[in-house]
Amino acid sequence: MEFAPIFWWTTLWLLVWGIVGSIGTRRIYLAKDLDTSNAVLMGALIGASLGPIGLLFLWLKTPEASKKLIILPSLLTVGILMTAFALADPENNCVSNSSFVLSQITNGLIIGIIYGLMALGLTLIFSILGVVSFSHGEFYMIGGMITYYVTVVWFPGISPIAGILIACLATFILGALFERLFLTPMYDGRIERPVEYGILVTFGLAFTLMYFVQAVAGSNPVKAKRFFDFPRIRFPSKEDPWLIKTSRGNMELFDTVSISNPRFIAAVISILVLLGLLFFLYKTWTGKALRAVSQDREAAAIAGINPHRMNMLAFAMGGMIAALSGATLVQAFSWLPHVGLIPAMRSFVIVVLGGLGSLPGAFFGGIIIGLVEAAGTGCVPDPQKASSYIPAYGMIVLTLTLLLRPTGLMGRRFASGTHGKL
Amino acid sequence: MTRIQVLWLICFGIVGFFLAFPFIYGGRDYEYIMHICITGFFYAILASSWSMLAGYGGQFSFGHMGFMGLGAYGTALFSHYFYLSPEPTGLCTEFAFGDQYFIIKNPVGVTSSTLTQDCLTKALENWNGTVEVTPMPIVLGILIGASLGALFGFLIGMLVLRLRAAYLALFTLGFSEILRATISAEIDITRGQAGIELPHLFENGVVLFGYEFTKTDKIPPYFVMFFLLLACLAILAWLAQSRFGLFIRALREDEDAAAALGINIVRYKVLVFVITCTMAALAGAVQAHYIGIITPNNLMIMQMSLVVAMAVIGGLENFAAAAIGAIIIEFILEMLRNSFVIGGVEVDMTIWRLVFFGVLLMVTLRFYRNGLITPIIEYFTRAHVAAETVAKRSSESSNSPTA
Repeated sequence: MEFAPIFWWTTLWLLVWGIVGSIGTRRIYLAKDLDTSNAVLMGALIGASLGPIGLLFLWLKTPEASKKLIILPSLLTVGILMTAFALADPENNCVSNSSFVLSQITNGLIIGIIYGLMALGLTLIFSILGVVSFSHGEFYMIGGMITYYVTVVWFPGISPIAGILIACLATFILGALFERLFLTPMYDGRIERPVEYGILVTFGLAFTLMYFVQAVAGSNPVKAKRFFDFPRIRFPSKEDPWLIKTSRGNMELFDTVSISNPRFIAAVISILVLLGLLFFLYKTWTGKALRAVSQDREAAAIAGINPHRMNMLAFAMGGMIAALSGATLVQAFSWLPHVGLIPAMRSFVIVVLGGLGSLPGAFFGGIIIGLVEAAGTGCVPDPQKASSYIPAYGMIVLTLTLLLRPTGLMGRRFASGTHGKL
Repeated sequence: MTRIQVLWLICFGIVGFFLAFPFIYGGRDYEYIMHICITGFFYAILASSWSMLAGYGGQFSFGHMGFMGLGAYGTALFSHYFYLSPEPTGLCTEFAFGDQYFIIKNPVGVTSSTLTQDCLTKALENWNGTVEVTPMPIVLGILIGASLGALFGFLIGMLVLRLRAAYLALFTLGFSEILRATISAEIDITRGQAGIELPHLFENGVVLFGYEFTKTDKIPPYFVMFFLLLACLAILAWLAQSRFGLFIRALREDEDAAAALGINIVRYKVLVFVITCTMAALAGAVQAHYIGIITPNNLMIMQMSLVVAMAVIGGLENFAAAAIGAIIIEFILEMLRNSFVIGGVEVDMTIWRLVFFGVLLMVTLRFYRNGLITPIIEYFTRAHVAAETVAKRSSESSNSPTA
C-alpha cells in the first residue's frame, strides 16, 4: 500500500501557511497593540485553510475581520486534510468503508467519555491546588487493581459495584492522606516554588505507588471478569429476535456499529458518575465551595470557606475519579502495575486541550482525544505502526495546543494556581 | 585549615579515589563493581545536567531521557547504517568519497529471515572476504549524537520559551513520549522494541601505557565515562559561578524582573537547554556504546524518574550534590538487590528497593528541600550563613512599617 505524496504535500502546504499565518498575525496584532491571546491560533487556522489569500484578507482588515473566525477555518482545515487523505489512499478502510468509519466514531465517542472522566479528576486537582498531579495514572492503576483484587481474589462473587466502591474509598483516603502529609507546605509560602514542588512530589508518589503495586501484586497482567452479563442486542435484525439472552453478548446497531460490553458498561458508569459529579459541584454547598476556591481563593476564605480543607477534598476526589475510571476499565483491558502511564499522559493532553482547570473543557477534550485516537488507529495504513503510535497522537494534539493556544479550548486565563502565568 | 580548604581536599580525595579505584580494587566481583561505577557516572552526568536545567534554570523538563536517547540512537543509527568500502558494492546507495566509497546500508525489518539480508551483507558474500569494509569511527558517531542533542535542545528551547512550570513539564514529557513512540514504531529502521546493537566503545581493543585492553575490559570505558563526568562538572561549575549562572538563576526567580534588568531571556533560556541537552546526549551516546545495545525502553518515563530522584535526593540546586547523589544512589540501589526471607515470606528486593527509593524521594522533598548532600557542601562553603543573613534582612525590611 503505497502512500501517495499528495497527502504529504498538502500537509506541508498547511504547515507552511499555518506557521506563516501564526507568526505574521501575532506580529500584526502586536504592532496594532491588540490582545494577542487568540491571534496565533486564528492566524494558523486561516493560513492553513485559506492559504495566502485568506491571510492577506485577515491582515488587511485586522481588528474587524478577526471576531469569530475560529470555527469555520478549523473545520475547513480538517476538511482539506481529510480530502487529501481520501485522494491519496482511496483503498483505505477509513475512506471506502462507511460502516467502519461509523463504528470507529462510536467507539471513539465511548472511550472519549471515559477519558474525559479521568481528565476531570486531574483538572479538578489543578483548578483548586494549582498542581498538575503526576500521580494521576497511578490512582487509575490502583483503582483497577483494587477492584480486581476485591472481585476476583479476596471476595469472589461479590457485586462489582462493591468492588468499585471499595476502590473509590481506598483511593479517596490515600489521596487525602498524601495531601495532608506532603502537599500542605505548598499553601503558606514555606516553599519557594510550589508548582514545581507539587510536580516533583506527586512524581515521587507515582514512582512509589507503581513499584509498591508491582512488589505486592507482581508484574503479570490480570483482568477482571465482565461486571454485568449482557444480552446480545442486534437492532434492527431480520432473521433473529433482536435480543438474545447470552452471557457474552455485545451490542450491534444497524448492522454496522458494534460496541463491546465492557466498554459500554464503563461508558454508562462514567456518564452516571459525571452526572453525579455535576450535581455535586453545582448543587451542593461543598461543591459550590470547591468552585469558589478555584475561582478566588482569598474571596472564598473571606466568605467562610476553609481553603485548606477544600485542597484536601479536591486532591482526594481527583484521585478517586481517576481510580473510578480505572475500576470501570479493569474489565475491558488487562491490568499491569505500569498500566497508568499512557492514561496519565492522555489526561494531561485532555486537560491542556480543554484548558487547565476547566471542567467542561476536560469533558469535551476527552471526546476529541477519543475521536483523534480512533481516527489515528483506524486510518494509518500499517496497523502495527498505528497501534505503536497511539501515545503520539495525543502528544501531537498537546504540542499543537501549547503552541497555538496555551489556554486551551475553554481555559480561564486566571485559574487560581497559575495566577495568569502559563 | 578553613572549611573551604577542607572541601577542596575532600574533592581531590574523591577524584583521586575514583582515579585509583580500578587499580586498587581486587574483589571477585570486580567487573560488576566497575559496571556499577560506569553506570553511576552516566547517571551522575544526567542528574547534574538536569539539576543545572531544573534547579538553576527553573526549567522542569521531563524530556531529559529523550535527549539521552537522541544521542544514543544518533550514534547507533550512524554506526549501523554507514560504512566505508574500497570497492563499490553495486547493491547499496553509495557515493565516491576520496578513493573510498561511502555506503548507506538499506534498512531491513526485524524478522529473523531478513536480519542478515541487507545489501552490505549480500555484497560481502559476493566478494567472499576479498574486500574489507570499514565502519565509521565511533568518536564521529558520538559527536553526531551529541550534536543531535544540541540541535533538538535548541528547537525545544525555542518552542518552550512561552511555557512555564506545569506546561513546560507536560510539553517536554510529550516530546520524550513522541520520540519513544516513533522509535518503537519505525521497526524497519530502529528495530523497535528489539533494540539496536552498537559496536563497543573500543571495538578493536586499545593499548594504554603499554597495557593492552580487549573490547570488553572495563577500565577504558570507566575512564572515558569518568573524564566525561569531570569535564561536564567542570563546565557546569564554570557556568554556575559565571554571569551565565547568575542570569539563569535570575530567570528562575522572576522572568519579568530579569528581563527588566536587561537579561536577554530568549538567549539564556535556549542556551541552558542546548548545553544541558548536549551533555545528556553525549552521556547517552557513550553509555550506549559501552552497553552495546539501546532499546526504546531506556527513554521511558520511569528512567526519567530515576534521574529526577537522584538529582532531588542529592540536591536539586547544586549540580555537584546531584552528581554525588547519583553515584551514591546507584551504588545503594545495586547493593539492595539481594532478596531475603523473613518468616517464610520471600521479599523480592529488586522491586522493594525502588519503593523505598520513592519514599525517600518524597521525604527528602518534604523535609530536606535542598537534598541530602547539599547541606554537607554548604556546611563547608558556609553558604547557609549568607542565606540566613539575606533572609533576616528581607524579613526585617518586610516587617518595617514603611515597606
